[in-house]
Amino acid sequence: MSVKKKFKGLSDKAVGWLFIGPTVLLLLAINIYPLVYAIKMSFTNFYANKIGREPQFIGLKNYIKVLNKEAIWEKMQVTASFMFWTLLLQAIIGLGLALLLNRKFKGNELLTTLIVLPMMLSPAVVGVFWTYLYNPQVGLFNYVVNFFYDFGSFDMIGSSILAPWSIVIVDTWMWTPFTMLICLAGLRSVPNYLYEAAEVDRASKWQQFIYITLPSVLPFLLLALLFRGIENFKMFDMVVELTSGGPGSATELASINLKREAFEKWKTGYSSAFAVILFVTIFGFGNVYVKVMNKIKER
Amino acid sequence: MILLFVSLFSFSVNSNAKSITLGWAAWDPANALQELTKEFTAETGIEVNFEFVPWPNFADRMLNELNNKGKTFDLLIGDSQWIGAGAVYGHYVKLNDFFNKEGISMSDFSPATVYAYSTWPKGSENYYALPAMGDALAWAYRKDWFDRPELRSEFKKKHGYDLGVPANWNQLHDMCKFFQGREIDGQKRYGAAINTERGSEGITMGVTAAMYAWGMEYENPNKPYDMEGYFNSPQAVEAVEFYRKLYEDCAPPGHSDAYMVANLDAYKSGQVAFQMNWYAFWPGVSKEDSGGRVSGFFANPKQNVAAATLGGQGISVVKYSDKQDLALEYIKWFARPDVQQKWWDLGGYSCHNDVLNSPSFPTSTVYAQGFLDSMGIVKDFWQEPTFVELMLPMQEAIHDYVVNGKGTAKEALDKIIGEWVEVFEADGKL
Repeated sequence: MSVKKKFKGLSDKAVGWLFIGPTVLLLLAINIYPLVYAIKMSFTNFYANKIGREPQFIGLKNYIKVLNKEAIWEKMQVTASFMFWTLLLQAIIGLGLALLLNRKFKGNELLTTLIVLPMMLSPAVVGVFWTYLYNPQVGLFNYVVNFFYDFGSFDMIGSSILAPWSIVIVDTWMWTPFTMLICLAGLRSVPNYLYEAAEVDRASKWQQFIYITLPSVLPFLLLALLFRGIENFKMFDMVVELTSGGPGSATELASINLKREAFEKWKTGYSSAFAVILFVTIFGFGNVYVKVMNKIKER
Repeated sequence: MILLFVSLFSFSVNSNAKSITLGWAAWDPANALQELTKEFTAETGIEVNFEFVPWPNFADRMLNELNNKGKTFDLLIGDSQWIGAGAVYGHYVKLNDFFNKEGISMSDFSPATVYAYSTWPKGSENYYALPAMGDALAWAYRKDWFDRPELRSEFKKKHGYDLGVPANWNQLHDMCKFFQGREIDGQKRYGAAINTERGSEGITMGVTAAMYAWGMEYENPNKPYDMEGYFNSPQAVEAVEFYRKLYEDCAPPGHSDAYMVANLDAYKSGQVAFQMNWYAFWPGVSKEDSGGRVSGFFANPKQNVAAATLGGQGISVVKYSDKQDLALEYIKWFARPDVQQKWWDLGGYSCHNDVLNSPSFPTSTVYAQGFLDSMGIVKDFWQEPTFVELMLPMQEAIHDYVVNGKGTAKEALDKIIGEWVEVFEADGKL
């Protein structure tokens, strides 16, 4: 029997399900099932390394423990600060670069290619090579900074004041090109006649930027920041390679702490509760953000 | 064609049946063991495959393997602290019957190593490993710099005693500070490369070298797991404060997340006068002395008591292995005194009494006497099944105080006790 004949009796809806079925199954197996399992575990005192010890139901104890733990709030604060500064810098620099590259000039394409190179690298590799760049004795970073102003020797990843900035700088260096690319797409979608009409109305360049460019590019910028926000909330590899969360716990982001609780201390129940809290947080913020973004788009 | 296929297939089956896999950390002694094992293969026909994991990932990789009941390894040279988990969770094969059958006596091995690497519960006669690699934290120093008359006289004038092997931690600090920022042969030098690593166990292994020397005990000897007043005793607090002073006054710039390899690099590149490290590295350091560099070695200096941080490992048979008989054959071979002597000769640290008690042993290398001295005074971190849970809060709190400069030493130790109490409570020990 030919395939055509076989599917002849199926409705469009059924054929649609046939196509998305495997994907849905895969999603259920690798996303939904682990999520449900983690939620179940979060109500138990399960330790994955304690073989033979049956998990016991302990109600909300893990959630109460996570939310009352001062150290957890410290990690959340570190994460919030990391997200705030990286998103702010990536928005400003990314938009600035997009405006620059939106102009026609010689070498534009080459410059664009060079600027996007960092985001093509592996975060773990970036973390490792920036440890060398930050080395106070032989690193290029200290040399460049001291070239402009003589601060003397300083240790970016060994100082509790500078270490949080060290991860912000690296993340900004790596991911600003992403924000830039999305903004550039936004800028190129603005029709020229809007600027021509503004010229006719004798609008200044600044007014054109405020009333045409910015509103047009804002939804794109917000979308880029949403992606970066979600990614940075989960940031792990680059920071682990760069600072291991140190000095002390100065750069220990929530995701690093979660990994340590789950796969080094093997507190499976407790870390599941922590993971659920993080998931709800990012999901909640994400939803609010998307609603705000849609309202901006509608204007 | 079919014949060829059948013969290839049978070859692969045969080669699999006569091979075992040994897991260890990727470092100099592992290479020496690989070399030594060639003799085992020649004698028995059993191939030994090695999987060496870099130290920062060693515990993660191996413990995950054991927790998942993995069959990758037949033999594992695991850290001393793992013995509790290996025994309690059933990852390691208990070796008593095998030792009795093969006439392997634990009294043939150094008592400190048997206690640390083989037994669980501690000090019992339940053996889960054969002592494989004795080790302790020690110090190497630039003897060539120490021998320079101008530096010796300047030091003596300043401190009133000779520049040499420090008799205690105060002298160690004086000497490290003496070299800090000093220009020697046109290059700026620093005092000491000490352990400050945050991620795995580095800073804990370093700071405990000081804490043990100050006389710190983990718990009340008469009341197990009662840590208040012991782990945070005034002596322990003083030791942690001293370690921070040593870091602030004497470490090279950027030495804020350093362990074995970083210490070696700082020393080999001529940056520092001293390095803290494991005996396992001294054969390599000694062998690579060149360009005027002469290395001296000494055991951890005493302060209130003589003590050193224990390193080293025992070799265990993995319970989930399908080739336990071949793995046991390897252990039988490795326990032989002649093999143990070759092990030492190749750069491994044998724990066998025949090797250690040999009259020629103390002078066999420049670090042999120090090794003997150290193995008599070693102390180890908790060897509880929950040792990782115990290690991580200590890493964080000590790094926060020593490197980050946050809070006080007493606060750091109190915080650690608080976390440890939680761990012991969850484990039903408190």
